[in-house]
Amino acid sequence: MQLPNSLVIATKALRRNKMQTALTMIGMMIGVATVLTMIALGTGAQNAIQDQVKAAGMNMLVVTAGNYQVKKEKPPDDAIEMSQRRNPEKGMRPHLQFVMFHPEDDPFAVHDHPVAKQRLGDSEAGLGAAATLSLDDAAMIRAVPGVQYAVEGIHENVHVGYGDTRWFTRVHGDGSSLPEVRRSWKFVHGGFYSERQERNKEQVIVLGSVVAEKLFGADNPVGRTVTLWKQPFKVEGVVTSSSWMVVPEAGDDQFDAVYIPVTTMQSLLNLSKLNDITVTTKSTGDVSRVAKTITPMLRQRHNIGANQADDFTVTTQASKSLMKGSLRPDVAQAVIGNVSGLEKVTLDQLGKTLDRSSRTMTALLGGIATVSLIVGGIGIMNIMMLSVTERTREIGIRRSVGAREHEVLMQFIYESVILSVVGGLLGIVIGVIASSAISHSVQWSTSISPMAIALSFGVSAAVGIFFGYYPAREASRVAPLKSLRFE
Amino acid sequence: MEPVISVRNLTKTYHVGEHQVNALRSISMDVHKGEFVSVIGPSGSGKSTLMHILGCLDQPTSGQYFLDGRDVSRLSDDDISLVRNEQIGFVFQGFNLLTRTSALENVELPLLYGKSNISAAERKKRAMAALDSVGLGARYDHHTNQLSGGQQQRVAIARALLNNPSILLADEPTGNLDSKTSIEVMDIFQALQRDRGITIVLITHEMDVAAYGSRIVSFKDGNILSDVSNESRRHAGGELQEFPAVVN
Ligand SMILES: Nc1ncnc2c1ncn2[C@@H]1O[C@H](COP(=O)(O)OP(=O)(O)OP(=O)(O)O)[C@@H](O)[C@H]1O
Ligand SMILES: [Mg+2]
Repeated sequence: MQLPNSLVIATKALRRNKMQTALTMIGMMIGVATVLTMIALGTGAQNAIQDQVKAAGMNMLVVTAGNYQVKKEKPPDDAIEMSQRRNPEKGMRPHLQFVMFHPEDDPFAVHDHPVAKQRLGDSEAGLGAAATLSLDDAAMIRAVPGVQYAVEGIHENVHVGYGDTRWFTRVHGDGSSLPEVRRSWKFVHGGFYSERQERNKEQVIVLGSVVAEKLFGADNPVGRTVTLWKQPFKVEGVVTSSSWMVVPEAGDDQFDAVYIPVTTMQSLLNLSKLNDITVTTKSTGDVSRVAKTITPMLRQRHNIGANQADDFTVTTQASKSLMKGSLRPDVAQAVIGNVSGLEKVTLDQLGKTLDRSSRTMTALLGGIATVSLIVGGIGIMNIMMLSVTERTREIGIRRSVGAREHEVLMQFIYESVILSVVGGLLGIVIGVIASSAISHSVQWSTSISPMAIALSFGVSAAVGIFFGYYPAREASRVAPLKSLRFE
Repeated sequence: MEPVISVRNLTKTYHVGEHQVNALRSISMDVHKGEFVSVIGPSGSGKSTLMHILGCLDQPTSGQYFLDGRDVSRLSDDDISLVRNEQIGFVFQGFNLLTRTSALENVELPLLYGKSNISAAERKKRAMAALDSVGLGARYDHHTNQLSGGQQQRVAIARALLNNPSILLADEPTGNLDSKTSIEVMDIFQALQRDRGITIVLITHEMDVAAYGSRIVSFKDGNILSDVSNESRRHAGGELQEFPAVVN
């Protein structure tokens, strides 16, 4: 393949004017690098805020089976109140907590049925009359516009065994997208079970870090087999908290716990219902709307008449988690300090405020970026204009040996495009380096998306064509004779 | 035989403010293939004006210009550019080479334009051959500022010859050169005419230089004063041998 002659001519001409070429490219490079760094800082800040907000669960709502608001949170009649729970393991400290236990949750034997047949089903699985939510409900919720994830949950107590060691803990049967919802999770070893494993009802398990430590000490348990209900489960990963606000400890619900696919749990325990469904929305501002959509939808699915109460509860997480922590204290303080009467602020308002401020930020960044690119473009135009007058003689020489107007035009357009594109590419490199340097040295989060890179590249090429066109046309219009006389 | 150049009633009028300058007043002449025509005349007599029209760098106010039998006085800019590229070779007093560019790349220049799409290797080959023919093959990679005036003018001649033009037009090619270098350039011109049958129109205001041509046309105030064949033609080849120590 042969390059177009005008392109060859343009590169040769640029090499002739090395100094000018270098200076123009540096100008373009700095322009693009600045823009890219600015976008990186902006999106980084935006993402950081969004992440914090999401980690705080502000985009989360939980649909729980049963309606305790009606019943005033009265535990089932057959529940036993235990003031002290002693862990069956020797040498373990007793947990000093008040826990409501269903008789079926007897720590010692009842749940050790190997086969689900012996169990009588949902009503005996601690779900009682509240067994109303199904996998299909979750699937329907997942299809609601604005919903990001909907994760099924069944929660039980269980003995986890490895060799001779046994540990009494919580087991959560959950959908495979649970880690997407638990933003403050990190995996010490391995990872979460996959959607495929969930579909196939595989006996795989993820250990909370507390459980992993009790059973395996400091060893990596991934790939080992533990037993639940005398059934083997292969360990897929170990999860712990990524937030310093939440320290895993014995007795907590997240890390002194094990996770298995909800489907596996349902089939082993012969269950068909769920305890709850955890829902996240794509945007924090959407939580109220989604909650308002879910309620009538579930009422209809559950055939609840107009004057009957819901058989489920929808709770949002906003102010609860804001007050509770897991939000970085500085961010929490900023939010709390700036929003008077936080408790009265609805999640919707808060979400919308955040959305609005991030939109303002994007618009501001976009504005600054546009202005600096226009300035860069005018710089290119200026230099190209200068070089047209400076190079009148060169143009005349080219015209005298037979260059057509069009060929001179193309030469100058190619020159400015090469200048801006090469300058732009260098600028992208510098911009990427600069933003990572900034995020390293000042600990600001930056984020460069492929989109931002593509945009800067496209814009620098467009600037080259747009601002190069006018000088190029001027160049091509120089009369051959006039340019030869030009000294 | 049909003339290479044929002009009929060519006029060129410039308007400068209120004034009207008649640079050419009805010129008619023919140049045949293989002729070496010297155009001579005092400053301001219209020599360069004629040469720009002959070289399709400018268009006449009226009259016709046939190049190889085709009327080129009123072609579109693209067509005119092609004529310049393929049929005309220029040599100027000021050399008009691209600065900061090697001799080779200067010579290649005409091949980057025009219809034919020539590969880089072929361009280089043909440019080298042209440089060799003016005795500068060894200096192909020298930049223009590393060459003497005479050498630069030879590069310009090599460039002018690259597309095998119908005519070679030279406007005071020796105006910036010393006498010995001038003779060298004239030697090249005479060799081109003699060995390759190239048609040359040379413009000068010195009789000494005009004397190398086979025919002398003299201008005055935009008119042809006389048009005679040169009986006492000078031969640059012989004169060069009288100079001691010829150095390139
Ligand atoms: N662009 C122009 N505008 C106005 N007048 C011009 C222009 N070009 C040439 N002339 C005039 O036309 C006349 C002929 O000029 P031309 O350049 O052809 O002279 P010349 O014979 O080449 O002179 P010289 O020997 O000094 O180069 C002169 O009077 C000149 O002033
Ligand atoms: Mg002149």
